[in-house]
Order: sequence, then structure tokens, then C-alpha cells
Amino acid sequence: MLLSYGFGQRALVGGLIIATTCSFISFFVIVRRMAFVGMGISHAAFGGVAIGIVAGVNPVLTAGGFCVLVAGGIGWLSRKGRLHEDTVIGILFAASMAMGVVLVRMANAYNLDLMSYLFGSILALNWTDVIILAVLSALVISFLILFFKELLFFVFDEETATASGVPVRLVYYGLLISMAITIVVSIKLVGIILVSALLVIPGAIGIQLSGNYRGVLVVSLSSGLIGVAAGLFISSWVDVASGATIVLVMFFMFLLALALSPKRGYMQRWRRRSGQASAN
Amino acid sequence: MKSECRVSDFFSGPGETPRTVIELEDIWASLAGHTVLEGITFSVEEGVFLGVIGPNGAGKTTLIRVILGLVKPDRGKVLVMGMSPRELHHELHHIGYMPQTVLFDPSFPVSVSDVVMMGRACCIGPLRFASRSDRRAVAESIRAVGLSGLEKRPIGELSGGQQKRAFLARAICLETRILLLDEPTAGLDIESQERFMGLLTRLKEEMGLSVLFVSHDVNVLARFADEILCINRTMHMHGSPQEVLGSERLKEAYRCEFDFLVGEGSGMAGEDA
Repeated sequence: MLLSYGFGQRALVGGLIIATTCSFISFFVIVRRMAFVGMGISHAAFGGVAIGIVAGVNPVLTAGGFCVLVAGGIGWLSRKGRLHEDTVIGILFAASMAMGVVLVRMANAYNLDLMSYLFGSILALNWTDVIILAVLSALVISFLILFFKELLFFVFDEETATASGVPVRLVYYGLLISMAITIVVSIKLVGIILVSALLVIPGAIGIQLSGNYRGVLVVSLSSGLIGVAAGLFISSWVDVASGATIVLVMFFMFLLALALSPKRGYMQRWRRRSGQASAN
Repeated sequence: MKSECRVSDFFSGPGETPRTVIELEDIWASLAGHTVLEGITFSVEEGVFLGVIGPNGAGKTTLIRVILGLVKPDRGKVLVMGMSPRELHHELHHIGYMPQTVLFDPSFPVSVSDVVMMGRACCIGPLRFASRSDRRAVAESIRAVGLSGLEKRPIGELSGGQQKRAFLARAICLETRILLLDEPTAGLDIESQERFMGLLTRLKEEMGLSVLFVSHDVNVLARFADEILCINRTMHMHGSPQEVLGSERLKEAYRCEFDFLVGEGSGMAGEDA
């Protein structure tokens, strides 16, 4: 069983920490429609990892610095350069990936290490990694809690928030940088390719099942924790890649949420129809 | 609180001469290199309902944004409650603002009371959480705009008129002394418009508010405003509704004939008085 081994325990603890952070930030990703920002920053992390591999520095550190720079660049160019956020992301994301490919090819570094960043290697976590994960996650969660009312006002109505004295610049860049940090800590779990799923699916499940942000946050957090724990157990049981399994579990949870969503009323319609059929 | 004392000291007491709450002097402002306001000079006295009219693109919204400090004028002086926009940044909880449109996703997961509580964000301050008095202020504002019973209703499920009232509640749930409203009745049917204007007039009297109300609907302002300011990039007129709406310069500002509006507007203003 997964928990009988030290690496399994570390994977579960690390996975649950990552799930908590991702699920919390996922609420803002969904309500402000920042899914593409998440995609952009996570794929840009490839450039950061490549710099680390080529320079012989810990790739997580270089990816972290690079992602924060890209996140800041997305904010700065879209605000000051008067470009749409998705245009800036499209450009920075492709340029960072291209830089990563060129650097890796030049250093001839297409190896197992690179693949672990692309697809995740949660079972390779050591306790130091878990502590780093916990500290970075605590930073992000503290920011989200302490500035929650300002963030909520900003994502709902930026114009009035600005006029009311909410520090919108701090809140916007804080949110982008929090996303960058969350992405970097999540790369270990599911890898660069799949990390954006963790930023999108929990919040999307929450929105399906609740009409108020408090409920959305509770559902988002629960689904993130259940998805990661179930994904890790299933992957160790059937011996398949843990990152991909987690994403697939979450995807099925999303489908279930769609079916059960009171907003869509599929269940109510199905119940009504089956009631009518039995009456006939 | 230091800021509260400063603002309380500014406003006049009973029997005292009303103070000038908004003062603009020779304001020039531009957006993306185009001049949108040229030499605007006017002032608003405490407790006055000033209607700002002008055709589309006249610079009405920019005028509000200049007062709020969101647009920096190229030239001129702005004083709100005797403070420059920089000083005003710490006193924004005395100004209620309702933008022209709030472009929110109808499925955004917030209730009416959550939206009104957003208005308290600047009163609560950063790194702090809402207290019992904040929740009380929110409940009172919701009751004042007649939305009691709908506190828990998602904002996206309200009608257009109810949403406008919720945003008005958000604007008055601060320690509001000045209300800046940008086309608040746009998109409402006549009945909802009437209800909104009646509510606004009552709140103005009860709370002793100074109101700056931007609209291109001359008829609405003719009935409810104490003074009307007519702009179309430059300033055309500032005076009582009778003076402004009966003037030839209104046609000049709108660059069209106004026989219907002038006749009805001045008449209605006279009747109401």
C-alpha cells in the first residue's frame, strides 16, 4: 500500500498541501476567467526548468523565478502596454517554450530529469521538498486570506474597487505571483503539462455545485483534496503515472458535478421523467 | 479616527453656511491623446443635487473619474472636501460611487449582501475582517434601498432595477458624504427609474448627501436636480434647471433642437418647485 512506504507518505502529505493551495486559488482563476493565464505560466515554466538544467542550478528555483517574471510580465504588458491578457500570454508562453526547447537541445538534455518536470514525480519528494512546499503554500494561502475581501471586490468590479481605494495593482500582481508560486510547487505533483488542470478543475466543480463563494470554496477545496488523494491511491494500485491519474480523477469528478449541478437541473429532469414513467 | 475628524470638521454644522464639497478649476483632461475636457470650472455645495448633462462622448464619465482621482487632469485644480486627489485617497470611504455599468458575470457566486459588503472594504481596511458593525451597516443599507428579504439572493438573479438598488446600497454603506453616480438609471424602464429617483432623493435628504448625478436624460434631471451642469467637452452652462433647460445654449451643447425637452423640462421643474 502507498502509505506503508516513506515515499508514499511524503507524496500524500505533499499532494494534499498542493491540493489545498491549488483549490483555493482555483476559485479566483474561475471567477476571473484566468484559466489561460494558468496555462501560460505553467508552460512558461518549461523555459525556467531548461535554464536550471543548462546552468546546473536546481530547476525548481529557476522555474520559480522565471514563472514569477512571466506572471509579472503578463500583468505589466497587459496593463501598461494596453494589450489583451490573452494576447500577452499567447506570446510569452510560446516564446518561453521555444527558449526551453532551444536550450535543452543545445545542452543535449532530453533525459529522465526533464521528463519528471514535464509529467511530475511526486513519489520522488523528500521531506525538505515537503517543507519547502508547505512554506510556499502558506505564503500563498496567507495572501489569499488576508486580502480576500479586496480580491473579491477586484474580480467582481475592478472599476469601483479602484475608486473605493482598494490597492488593485497590489491585488492583481499578488494574484498573478501567487498563481506562479502555486504552479511551481505543483509541477512536482502533476508536471508542467497538466498543472493548469489543478488550477481550473476544483473551482469549476465548486461553481457547478454552489451559488455562493463560501460554498464554492468549500466544494473546491474538498474536490481538490479528494481528487489528489484518490488519484495517488489509484495510481499506486494500478501502477500508472500519478499526475495523469489525479487529473483524470478530477475530470470524472467534474463530469459528476455537471450531472448533479442544481443550476443545470439534469438530476431534477431525470427524476421527473422517471417519476412520470413509473406513473404511466 | 484621524480621518473621520478631518472630514467631520470640514462639513458645516447646523445654521452654518454650507461648504463647497467639490471644486474644479480650469480642468483639462485627455484620454489616449484626445482632449475630452477643456477648461471645466464649477463647484458643488454641501447637500446639493447636481445633475451633469451632455450628449454621448461629452466627457461626463471622465469628469467623475477626474473627481475620484482615477484620471489625472492635464491642467487645473481639483479639490474634494478641501482635499487634493492625493490626499483624498485616504478619505475615499466618504465617497460613494456607482459606475455606468458593472460588467459582471451573472453566475458570479456572490449574494446581494456580499456585494454591499464589498463597499465596506475601504472602511474595514487591509488585513482586517468584517466586524459586527460592518454587517449592521450592510443590513441597514440594504433595508434603506428596499431590498430587505433579498440579502441572500445571488446578485445575478436580481432584475436590472434591483441590481441598481444593490449597487446604490453598496455606495451608501460607507461613511458616505458625497455620491457620484454615472448614468445610474440607464437601461431601466420608466417605473424603475421613478422608483430609483424617489429613493435617491429620500436618501439624499435623510443622510445629508451631496450628489453628482451624470445622465444624458435631461427629463429625469429636470425634475430632481437642484442645479444642472451642461457640458460637451467644454462647459456650456451651470445653473438651476429652469435657467439651463430654458437656454439656447443647451441646443448648442447638444447640437440639436430641444423644443420638447425645454418646454417639458422647465415646466416640470417649475411645478415641482
